[in-house]
Amino acid sequence: MAEDIKNVIDDDMDESVEVVVEKERFLTFRSADLTFAVNTKYVIEIITNHAITTLPMVPEYIKGIINLRGQIIPIVDIRLRLGKPSIDMEMESSDTCCIIVLDIDSISVGIIVDSVSQVVDSELSKISPVPVNNQQELVNGMISLDVNNVVLLLDCQQLVDAQMMS
Amino acid sequence: MDNGTDSMLDMYLFETNSLMEQLDELLIEAEKVEDFSTDDVNEIFRIMHTIKGSSAMMEFGSLNQIAHHIEDLFFYIRENGMDAIAPDLKKNLFNLMFKSTDMLRSEIEKVENNEPLTVNIDNIIGEINSFLNKISNQPDATDSSESAEAASDTPSVEELNMELANCPDDNAPFFIKVLFEEGCGMENLRAFMLVNALQDLQLNFRFYPDDVETNSGSSQTIIDNGFFLALEEEDHIEKVIGVITSTSHIQSYEVIENARLKKADAPATDPSPQAEPANISKPDAPAPAQVASAGNAEPAAKQTQSPAANAGRSHAGPVKQSLISVNLSKLDALVAIVGEIVITESMVTSSPDIQGLKLDNFMKSTRQLRKLTKDLQDIAMSLRMVPVSGVFQKMNRIVRDMKQKLNKDVRLTIIGEDTEVDKSIVDGISDPIMHIVRNSMDHGVEVSSEERIAAGKDPQAEIILSATHTGSEVIIKVEDDGYGMDTEKILAKAAGNGMLTKPESEYTKKEILGLLLLPGFSTNEQVTEYSGRGVGMDVVKRNVESVGGTVSISSELGQGSCTTLKIPLTMAIVDGMEIAVGQSIFTVPIANIRQSFKVSNEDVVYDAEGNEIVKCMDEFYPIIRVHQLYNVETEITNIEDGILIWVEASDTSYCLFVDELLGEQQVVVKPLPAYLNSFNIKNSGISGCTILGNGNISIILDILSLYEMAQY
Repeated sequence: MAEDIKNVIDDDMDESVEVVVEKERFLTFRSADLTFAVNTKYVIEIITNHAITTLPMVPEYIKGIINLRGQIIPIVDIRLRLGKPSIDMEMESSDTCCIIVLDIDSISVGIIVDSVSQVVDSELSKISPVPVNNQQELVNGMISLDVNNVVLLLDCQQLVDAQMMS
Repeated sequence: MDNGTDSMLDMYLFETNSLMEQLDELLIEAEKVEDFSTDDVNEIFRIMHTIKGSSAMMEFGSLNQIAHHIEDLFFYIRENGMDAIAPDLKKNLFNLMFKSTDMLRSEIEKVENNEPLTVNIDNIIGEINSFLNKISNQPDATDSSESAEAASDTPSVEELNMELANCPDDNAPFFIKVLFEEGCGMENLRAFMLVNALQDLQLNFRFYPDDVETNSGSSQTIIDNGFFLALEEEDHIEKVIGVITSTSHIQSYEVIENARLKKADAPATDPSPQAEPANISKPDAPAPAQVASAGNAEPAAKQTQSPAANAGRSHAGPVKQSLISVNLSKLDALVAIVGEIVITESMVTSSPDIQGLKLDNFMKSTRQLRKLTKDLQDIAMSLRMVPVSGVFQKMNRIVRDMKQKLNKDVRLTIIGEDTEVDKSIVDGISDPIMHIVRNSMDHGVEVSSEERIAAGKDPQAEIILSATHTGSEVIIKVEDDGYGMDTEKILAKAAGNGMLTKPESEYTKKEILGLLLLPGFSTNEQVTEYSGRGVGMDVVKRNVESVGGTVSISSELGQGSCTTLKIPLTMAIVDGMEIAVGQSIFTVPIANIRQSFKVSNEDVVYDAEGNEIVKCMDEFYPIIRVHQLYNVETEITNIEDGILIWVEASDTSYCLFVDELLGEQQVVVKPLPAYLNSFNIKNSGISGCTILGNGNISIILDILSLYEMAQY
């Protein structure tokens, strides 16, 4: 409930921002050597070092649930979700590994990513569709930030919807 | 639909539904003594008036129309008293009322489901009108003579002035003419709002045009002539003016003294102090008539009350409660936050940072805090509790209807209707109870009183619906003193349906009665009148289980039967046993635990498929290893190192093998995140989760579905 209210407020604020600058803001993160971007309107917060309670009887990519200030939030490992090997916790990269908590149409979900990079503003017109024969799961667009920097836009809807179907 | 209309609709539905409930209760009570008391009539009038008004505002035509006609009918009854109605018509009146409330109810349901309302309601309205005609055709001396008297006047100058002002024909001593601002629109509704505001003041007044709320054409009349309020008492004028001045879009108002009345006879000028000021009367009844009929109504009320007292039943209208309505989601949020506070409180007070420190003041404060949070939790939980009376009262209606249809003489006795359970549970048990009561009415109770007398029973059958508290659960019983169940027939039937799993002779009585609850029992043919239960009892069972309860049936052939529902008080807080399996912590509801014990390897026997079975209390039960079932890594795999918990849920009983017991704790149940719903997690033995004092999450096991999953 409180979360809903918060979302409403967040959404409202986002809308007002959009109206003024006509830009969308994205958080970029890395996972399995790819750079992804997620619209900040979905992002609630970024957390690290949270104890994950494993759940039985769920697909492997669902690492479990966490208690985020009383809210129970499911955690999805983006690497496993994309069919890549899981991040090795022993490796040095585990320091930067963190959970991005998203709220997609009032469904909360946390995603485990290798590292969080930055927040970028991008005009909507700069988002180009994924080439048809390169369609990939969880990606619904590409944004070129500058000449050598292209990020994949995370398809938040699919992240939630695919769940619903399977 | 925007938010404003949405919440208005919410309010409308809430208000109308609670009014309908009140009305139902009232009708059932009144039918028992076969009469309406004056209070009842006023109450029905008030209810219909409110429904009429709010439906008009929401533009629900059919509801408005039906309520309007019932209001007219009860207006007549109120004016003339129940005695004016012939006794044989009273029965018709009750049937008519039940029929029209059903109609209203179905219309409200349509509103709820967002379906179009019935357009053609002439049928029911015709019925109401013809009934009204039937009762009003009886001679009514007071009415006609008084109105004749009022008409005999000679016009004077003042009267001519009044004519010019288009004053309505009324015997009130004072008029207030209200003119709305030009072009403000919806004059009729504005006038109606004004009327509503005035009604709140409980003044005695009438208004013209009198159809402002239903007839949008009256707008024009108001624009042309103004809107008139007819007042009985001079000192009311100021109050009314106060309201008028605070109402927006009013251009001007004018107080006019009724000149016609100065010449008229005394009864009209002497305003009726003994007439109830709370009620608004209709223009078609002249004031003197009202005084007279109010006088009539008094003795009438006394007459109706005395047989009621003789019958030993209180015939007072249903008690109105001082309640406010709160959105359930807000309440849930409150309960959730309180749950957080409880957890946080223990996190703070048992924080590792202060362990070993001697902090007297701190300890004192934390004790106080603990007490307060406990109180807060209790209150928060009690907010969700509602009495089961709402559900029970519905049964009154069902018994009444079936009584007429089946022509059986049955009385329904309700015990403990004040018993409170969680709101979500009340919603969940309404259908099962209804089903059981129907079964009892249909098959349980003997077909005729003669049969009952022959069996040496009271000719009137009795169904007892009772609710009682026992610690953490509520027990709801539906008992009847009918045929009882013939176990042999049930067994034969179950055998015919191929539902038996062991030889017939091995079935105990309890098991046989348990067969009734299985799906597929008595679906192909209607069972004999001796044991016609089981029609959809599996649905009852499923519904009750979905709120965490259990169903059992007991019966003595020839003496009746009893269906017992055991329902947990609340699903939001569970007394749980924390158990550890590897790194994971699970919670098993204490209500499901029968025993926990250690076993040695010798106690375990194996079946052909290598499943482990253990014997407790001379019965064998399968063992389910939680670590195997859920693939949890643990070092404790030897049955001697861990511990067995013997659990039971409805008719399922087995043993869980876990690493160790951590202790008992009251936990706040949290549903699993919506994201996980698609994984069918509810059927994998997990009913939810909870947050422990240290912030860790514990998974709450659902004993019933866990077993089903383990089988599969």
